[in-house]
Amino acid sequence: MNYAEPFETERLHLTPFAPEHMEPAYAFFLSERGRWHGAGPDEGPGRAWRICATLMGHWQIHGFGSYALVEKVTGACIGGIGIFYPAGHPEREIGWSMYAREGEGFAAEAGRAIVDRYLGHFGWDTLVSYIDPDNKRSAALAERLGAVIDSAAEKGHPDDLVYRHRMGGHA
Amino acid sequence: MTPPTLTTERLTLTALSDRHFEPMAAFYADDRSSFVGGPLTAERTWRVLAGEIGHWTLRGYGRFAVELTATGEMVGLIGPWNPHAWPEPEIGWDLMNGHEGKGYATEAAKATRDWAYSALGWTTVISLVAEGNHGSRKVAERLGCTLEGPYTHEIYGTMNIWRHPGPEAAS
Repeated sequence: MNYAEPFETERLHLTPFAPEHMEPAYAFFLSERGRWHGAGPDEGPGRAWRICATLMGHWQIHGFGSYALVEKVTGACIGGIGIFYPAGHPEREIGWSMYAREGEGFAAEAGRAIVDRYLGHFGWDTLVSYIDPDNKRSAALAERLGAVIDSAAEKGHPDDLVYRHRMGGHA
Repeated sequence: MTPPTLTTERLTLTALSDRHFEPMAAFYADDRSSFVGGPLTAERTWRVLAGEIGHWTLRGYGRFAVELTATGEMVGLIGPWNPHAWPEPEIGWDLMNGHEGKGYATEAAKATRDWAYSALGWTTVISLVAEGNHGSRKVAERLGCTLEGPYTHEIYGTMNIWRHPGPEAAS
């Protein structure tokens, strides 16, 4: 499986997260919203940079990982969405971060494409999203993608909600 | 970039990969790692491993997995290290559990210092040693480093800067 092959949606190019996407990703992880990802201003610039490095190393270890969302019209990298599977995660996760242009449906557009690509084209059985119950926007996106809470699923962290994605689950 | 393979009398220095996760997880689970940001959970350790690999992607150099040539066993994580918000490029060394006191850190660090001078063209390099880390301080002394003074990192606290001899003096 060539997970690293770039692909596209109506408005986006999706390509493995790489050094050229570093600047907006780093700024995002250093911001308040980076807190959802174990970074944020209190953790400092070193942590934000290391998370970006981790996303790149993830591709080399597993062969799959996070994609940069590059808007076709502007060429700007506006977010990162993809598969995350560190040791300690019970299952492979799809996770997302929007760096810019929220509320325009880009995250849902990319999320649908990735769910379909991994469960359909690549034939994976399942994907989950681990979501902090306080992160309402993230939970709303999971629901928009057609994922449903799986209360029986093993959790990475005790407080997480586990959303399970299905092929064709989204509208 | 793909890391080269370096060899010394007893050691092979090679690219990090997922086979190095277990010895790293044992190291980071132990209090010995308290001088370098530990102890860490398995998941955080995995992120550290992916971040070390991503450091190579972002910088073109990074730390090596140090293996005993005779057995392939991982004994250390050693080499040039310069994440964002670091005072300047350093040679870092972490010995995996049970491999202290055999001269492996000195042997491997010297090889990576020679590589940084010859292949990367560095003209000077430091090593940061945490306050109270006597074993690491001895390695710095064996490598001919001189104590420059303290440096306080936002996460890791106060460390001492040891300056290595330059390319000509070290060769």
